[in-house]
Amino acid sequence: MPDLSPLYALVSHLLPFSFMEARFMQQAMLGLLLLAPMCAAMGVQIVNFRMAFFSDAVSHSAFTGVALGLILGVSARFTMMGFGVLVGVLIIAVGRRSLLSQDAVIGVFFSAAIAFGLAIVSRDRQAARDVSRFLYGDILTIGDAEIWCLAALFVILMAFQVLAYNRMLYMGINRSLAGAHRVRVPLYQYVFAALVSIVVMFSVWAVGVFLVTALLIVPAAAGRNLARSAGGMFWWAIAIGAVSAVSGVIISAQPWAGTATGATVVLSACALFAASLVPASLRKRHAR
Amino acid sequence: MSGNPETGAAEPAMAFEDVTVEIGGVPILNKVSARVPKGSVTALIGPNGAGKTMLLLALLGQVSYKGTIRVNAARIGYVPQRLDFDRGLPVTALEFLAMDRQRRPLFFGIGSSHRKRAEKSLRQVDASHLAPRRLGALSGGELQRVLLALALSQDPEILILDEPAAGVDVAGESLVCEVLSRVRRDRPMTQIIVTHDMSMVWAHATDVICLKGSVRAAGPLFILTQEVLAATFGVHMPRPGQCRVAEEPPDA
Repeated sequence: MPDLSPLYALVSHLLPFSFMEARFMQQAMLGLLLLAPMCAAMGVQIVNFRMAFFSDAVSHSAFTGVALGLILGVSARFTMMGFGVLVGVLIIAVGRRSLLSQDAVIGVFFSAAIAFGLAIVSRDRQAARDVSRFLYGDILTIGDAEIWCLAALFVILMAFQVLAYNRMLYMGINRSLAGAHRVRVPLYQYVFAALVSIVVMFSVWAVGVFLVTALLIVPAAAGRNLARSAGGMFWWAIAIGAVSAVSGVIISAQPWAGTATGATVVLSACALFAASLVPASLRKRHAR
Repeated sequence: MSGNPETGAAEPAMAFEDVTVEIGGVPILNKVSARVPKGSVTALIGPNGAGKTMLLLALLGQVSYKGTIRVNAARIGYVPQRLDFDRGLPVTALEFLAMDRQRRPLFFGIGSSHRKRAEKSLRQVDASHLAPRRLGALSGGELQRVLLALALSQDPEILILDEPAAGVDVAGESLVCEVLSRVRRDRPMTQIIVTHDMSMVWAHATDVICLKGSVRAAGPLFILTQEVLAATFGVHMPRPGQCRVAEEPPDA
């Protein structure tokens, strides 16, 4: 595995704080700088498709994925990822075939995944301890292998955005219209669901089950408030994701703060969202 | 169900054969069979709940159906009756038109050829001024024009319009009719118009399919007698003599 030291050195050079001299802080910063913009980019489509509940359901299935890993004696990271993708794809498959609304279908899977996880965990105390790690996440324990995985995922997701952004936007406006005009709606839906599930599972490591949806939704929602065009929304979301990652790590490392890094990143994004409401409301008033 | 002598080429633009649609076990369409002649303006008419929109959705592959739908066209343009979308989405009319054809993602900007093409489509429907406006800020009539521009930008062989006059004022309806006549003159195209606005049918259609769960009548416009209208709509509908554009055989 190639050495990441030059990148860590660059990060500590660009952010000359004393706490950034620690390797684990450099790793956390690099990991979040890969993860937060990825989440923000996928969040643009999640917000456009009104799929916030979908990412919630997938993130909570991490719980069951970990428990399954413990039972089967397989690495929990693999089972978590596999189970998350399975839940994401099944939600889309059932939603496409059912007359129920999408949120009702997601609600059923959400409940089933949580109940299944709880049933497994309730039989095994060791499992309960291991699962609780994923509820809160811990980006400060990220290692080189995870950063390489994140970098590979970053490339895949950005390639997907370049290839599919317009089609996804079309579907976000109206799926029937997009389908009528030769957009392969089912294909894009399934690929998107699988990719979101993978991003969600990586995010669970970083910020925990409770905060995953925020990492996806908040930068995209703030970007939407600030953007004047569909193209602008993408860049604003990515910029807000990156700024929240940097400011979250910096603030959480301050002695006066001493807060969990993942939670502080999400709080930074929320602060930026609150700030984005001002230009959004001014623009709305101006439009009247 | 022969076609209009003017438009009834041997090979129809579209043919429905025994198309049946059930939603939740409830039959909406029952063995619908009809042909849409190539180059025609075929009006799909019927009362509310007759299954007109459902037939379009079957045609567009958005509901499952039994039977066969044959389409002899590579490109279809579709103008929905109403566009349900998130009005807070920051997408401009120009981006909306460009994203349909442009491969390059919109976050890298709109390419000059796609910009010109989108602007040309907007000009076709007298809506150039709407290019920089957000889609969500457009009125019903303005949005209808943008949707028509989008459908025309497909360079369609078949143009499908679902209730194009619904929610549009008189001037808007007149503009839609004018644009449809103009594009049909400019290039060969089959138009299918779902409507219950009979003035649009008399003014614009060459052929008609009367639907009420199943096909009550289909063929050139002159088959649209008071008896057929009564069987389709359940009430007598006087036929206006004015605003007729398509030719009508003298014996109709």
